[in-house]
Amino acid sequence: MVGYILNLLILVSISGILAASLNFIIGYAGIYSMAHAAFFGIAAYTGALIALHVSASLLVAIPAAMAMCAALSLVISLPSLRVRGEYFVVASLGLQMIAFTVFSEWKDVTGGLGGITGVPIATLFGYKLRSLESFLVVSLACLAFVTGVIYVLARTSFGRSLRAIRDNEVAAAAFGKNPTLVKTIAVAISSALCGIAGVLYAFHVSFVNPETFTVDQSVLIMAMIIIGGTGTVFGPILGALIIHLLPAGLTYLTFLPARELASMQQIIYGGAMVLLMIYRPSGIIGRANLKDTWSK
Amino acid sequence: MLFLQLLVDGLQLGALYALMAVGFAVIFGSTRVFHYAHGTTYVIIGYLFYWLAERLHVPWWLAAAFAAFAGVVFGVALDRYVYRPIQRDEGSFFTVFVASFGIGVVAENIIIILFGASFVSISTPLTRAADVGGGIVVSYLGIFSVLAAGLLFTFLNWFLARTDVGVALRALSENPELVRGFGLNPRKLSQYTFALGSLLVAPAALVATCVTGLTPTAGHRVVLISIAASIIGGIGSLRGAGLGGLILGLAESLAVWKLSTGWSEAVAFVILLGFILARPSGLFGTRARV
Repeated sequence: MVGYILNLLILVSISGILAASLNFIIGYAGIYSMAHAAFFGIAAYTGALIALHVSASLLVAIPAAMAMCAALSLVISLPSLRVRGEYFVVASLGLQMIAFTVFSEWKDVTGGLGGITGVPIATLFGYKLRSLESFLVVSLACLAFVTGVIYVLARTSFGRSLRAIRDNEVAAAAFGKNPTLVKTIAVAISSALCGIAGVLYAFHVSFVNPETFTVDQSVLIMAMIIIGGTGTVFGPILGALIIHLLPAGLTYLTFLPARELASMQQIIYGGAMVLLMIYRPSGIIGRANLKDTWSK
Repeated sequence: MLFLQLLVDGLQLGALYALMAVGFAVIFGSTRVFHYAHGTTYVIIGYLFYWLAERLHVPWWLAAAFAAFAGVVFGVALDRYVYRPIQRDEGSFFTVFVASFGIGVVAENIIIILFGASFVSISTPLTRAADVGGGIVVSYLGIFSVLAAGLLFTFLNWFLARTDVGVALRALSENPELVRGFGLNPRKLSQYTFALGSLLVAPAALVATCVTGLTPTAGHRVVLISIAASIIGGIGSLRGAGLGGLILGLAESLAVWKLSTGWSEAVAFVILLGFILARPSGLFGTRARV
C-alpha cells in the first residue's frame, strides 16, 4: 500500500511538471499547444537512450533531454508563431501525429511499438536512486524547481512581455516587443521544462513505448490545467492530482463494472472539460474574471 | 504498375478525405468554430449505420438516411447547447475547441461501452474489387466515392452561389455583423451551417465504414485530416478543402511507393507543416495573416 501511494505521488509530480510547463505557454502566453505529449515522449526516449548508452546520471540525461526538446520545439514555433493562433494548435497537432509515427516506426532507435526496455536505475551525484522514497524526493524537487522557474519567469520583464502579447499583440509590438521572438522563446522554455518530466518518467517506469505519448495524453495534460485553472501557479498541480486520483477513486465504486472503468474515467474528464468550458472556463482555482485568462 | 495502382487508390482515398474535409471547412469557414467533434459526427454516423444495417438488418438506404439524419441532429445540438453558451460570454477559439474535444472524448467512450473498442465493418458485395484492365484493381465503392465527391461539390457550389441560404452562409463567413445589419439572424445561419457541415460528412462516414471499417477512435484521424485539408486549401475555401483532401489522399497513398506503410500516416502532417511554413494562407485562402 505504501508502495502504491509512493508510486501515485511520483506520477502526480511528473504530471504536475507536464501540466505546469504547458500552463506556462497556455496561461501566460496564450499559446495553445497540442504537442506536449510529443515533447514528453521525445524527452523520455532521449533520457532512456542516454541512460542505456552514455550515463544513468540525471545530471546528464535531464539537460540533454531539455536541450533536445527546446531545439525540436522550433520545428513548430518557427513556422506557426508568425501567423494567427489557430495555426499553432494545428501545427502542434501535426507534430504530435508525426512524433507518434516516428516513435512507433523508427525501429532502429525507438524499438518500435515494443519500445525501449531495461532503462537502468537513475543516479544523482553518484548515488543510485533505488528506493521509491528517494525517487519521490527527486521528483518533488524537480516539480518545485519547475514551479519556481515559472513563478519567477512570470514576474520578470519577460513574463510581463508574454502577458502583454497575450492580451494585445499589436499593442505589445507597438511598444517595441518582438512577439514572434518572445513567443518562440516561451515555447522553447515550456518544452525544455516538459523534458524534465520525460526523463523522470523513463527512469521511473524503466521502459518507454509510444502508447504513452499519444494525442490523448496531450489532451489529458491540457485537461489537468483546465480543470485546475490556467494561468495560476498551483492550478496545474491540483489538476494533476485530480486526474490521477480519479481512476484510483473510481475503483472504490464497486457497482461499476471493472471492464468499463477506463471508459467511465474518460467520460468523466471529457464531461468535466465541456461543463467547465461552459460554466467556468478559468478552472477550479482560476481567476473568476475570464477576461484576464481567455480573452485572446 | 504499382505506381498506377497507388495513384488509383490515392484518388479513392483523396475523394473520401475531400468529403470529410469539406464539412469541416463549411463549419470552420462560416462560424470560426474549431469543430473538433466533426470527427465524432463521422463516428456516430458510421456506428449507427453499422448498428442498423448489420445488426438489425434494416435496409441499407433507410439505415444510411437515418444515420445521416442523426449526424445532422448531433451537429446542430452541439452548436445550440455547447458552442453557443460558450460564445455568449468571452468565448474564445480555444475554449470552444476544448469543449468540442471533451464532447469527442465522451462520445468515443460511450461508443466503446456500447460496441466495444475493436474494429467493426459492414460486409457488402460492393467492396469487391474489379479488374479494370492492366492489372489495376478498383472497387465499386471506390468509384462511388469519387462520383459522390464530384456530385457533392457540384451541388455545394450551386447551393452556395445560387440559393438565398447559401449566399447568406458565405456572407456570414465574411462579416457576421453585416449579416445582422441586413436583418438576418447569424445564430440561425450558424445552425444551418452545422446542419450542412454534418450532412456533408455522412457520405464519407457511410462509404468508409464499408470500405475500411470503423473504430471508436477513428474520429481523431478524420478531424485531423479535415483540419489539414482545410489549412492546405485555405481557410474559407471549400474548393480548397476538397483539393486539399485529394492531395492528402494521393500523397498518403503514393508514399507507400517509397516508404513502409507505417510512415504513410505521417505524410499528411508533414505536408501540413510544410504549408504552414511556406504558404500559411493555403492554396486558395486570402486572409491567413493576423
